[in-house]
Amino acid sequence: MDKMNIPIGPQHPLLKEPLRLNIEISGERVLGGILRLGYVHRGIEKLAQTRNYNQNVSLTERVCGICSHVHTTTFCRAVEALLGLELPERVHYIRALMCEMERIHSHLLWLGILAKHIGLEMVFMHTWHDRESILDVMEEMSGGRVAHAVNQIGGVRFDLDEDHGPMVDSTVKKLKVDYEELLDVIEHDTTLKARTQGVAPLSTDDMKRYCVVGPVARASGVDVDMRRDDPMPPYDKLDFQVITHPDGDAWSRTYVRLQEIRQSLHLCKQIIDDIPEGPISVRAPRKVPAGEVVMRSEAPRGELFYYLRSDGSDYPARLKIRTPTLPALGILPEQLSEIHIADIPVVLAGIDLCIACADR
Amino acid sequence: MQWLKKRMRLLLALVEALTGEAETVSYPKTELELPKGYRGAIQLDEEKCIGCGLCVMDCPAHGLELEKESKSVYKLTYYPARCAYCGQCERACHRQAITHTNQLPGSTTDPESIIVILKDQKEQEDSDE
Repeated sequence: MDKMNIPIGPQHPLLKEPLRLNIEISGERVLGGILRLGYVHRGIEKLAQTRNYNQNVSLTERVCGICSHVHTTTFCRAVEALLGLELPERVHYIRALMCEMERIHSHLLWLGILAKHIGLEMVFMHTWHDRESILDVMEEMSGGRVAHAVNQIGGVRFDLDEDHGPMVDSTVKKLKVDYEELLDVIEHDTTLKARTQGVAPLSTDDMKRYCVVGPVARASGVDVDMRRDDPMPPYDKLDFQVITHPDGDAWSRTYVRLQEIRQSLHLCKQIIDDIPEGPISVRAPRKVPAGEVVMRSEAPRGELFYYLRSDGSDYPARLKIRTPTLPALGILPEQLSEIHIADIPVVLAGIDLCIACADR
Repeated sequence: MQWLKKRMRLLLALVEALTGEAETVSYPKTELELPKGYRGAIQLDEEKCIGCGLCVMDCPAHGLELEKESKSVYKLTYYPARCAYCGQCERACHRQAITHTNQLPGSTTDPESIIVILKDQKEQEDSDE
């Protein structure tokens, strides 16, 4: 049968962010795909070199609209490491709480998109409804729905007051009930399983070869999680499981993320119960000494890597951001071979792409 | 039994959806409830401001401008159209002179028309003379 090329994107109903895919097909079979990136490149790394450290906190928050908090957390931790600051325990707990809530809303958003691509509109509506309640709590606590502006160098900007604890507690309780109901639907839904099981499976070796991180790697049996392997406080004191699955197909990615929502809800509860009293920031000097530092955190999509070099001036000499989506994009052409055209949305949604993160 | 339980839950959800409050707000007809820590337009306490310029230095969006003639003669201008509402100025101010209000910033097609002069010591000096 004749081969044909189908261009998808950069503007396409299938994609939430601009990405160009040139897919080669023969009949209903997809033979391969060529990827083109860079449509939302904003030059953030270069821009960071022209701004001072405090300005860069707001800049790094704008790398991504979904995992904005973990970007600022990693950046602030990098600067704090260069300054040699010892932060109060309460700061770490507030940062971790926001990180976990961000993970829940990111995974729920992803689940909704996957369900919508498969045709399960009802699951999409339920997950996005649940996500809204988490966003409401985050907005109530920080004052921002997407750009939370929680972090500052030397601490956090807001403290949990007497209303916040019960609010998080009741939302977590409500979400747990909704989540179990949702899990029951998803685990027993034959359509979802038929559309995702055995689709674009990738082996553990493939994942290691492409250095893939996060839920996509864990779904192929790679046991890696920065919260356990290189923990930022207070994760070393908290109890949680790293979820893995051996199959590596779209269904195992769904399974891993679903179980991670449960773990994150459990972590939120622990943080609210264990949060110590104390100050929420320390005064950070404006002058950052010369040096270089690498900081890693577990973002909703995997390991987030920040390299920061200071030459002792007001501006960073170099800021390198490695986001978890970038290696996941590397395996996309491999996944887009020998599948059906109808499986393309499942493959694309399955790896939870964040193009804004990857392009920076 | 399980079957009946599921149907009952569905029925309850339906009743709740029909009788409960709407999730959306018909803004601007209905007033919008903003969160406690909402970062709206900024305001300045002129008494406290000493014109040190730390807020201007830390603003990532160049939303504030300081024209300084001498230590006490200066003009601080706020450009709401450039503002990212990030709260960096509030945090940078050592004297807590600058704060975010809990009000929605207005919208306009002419950004020049909403520029706010937060403090103008220059004008004050001229009128005193």
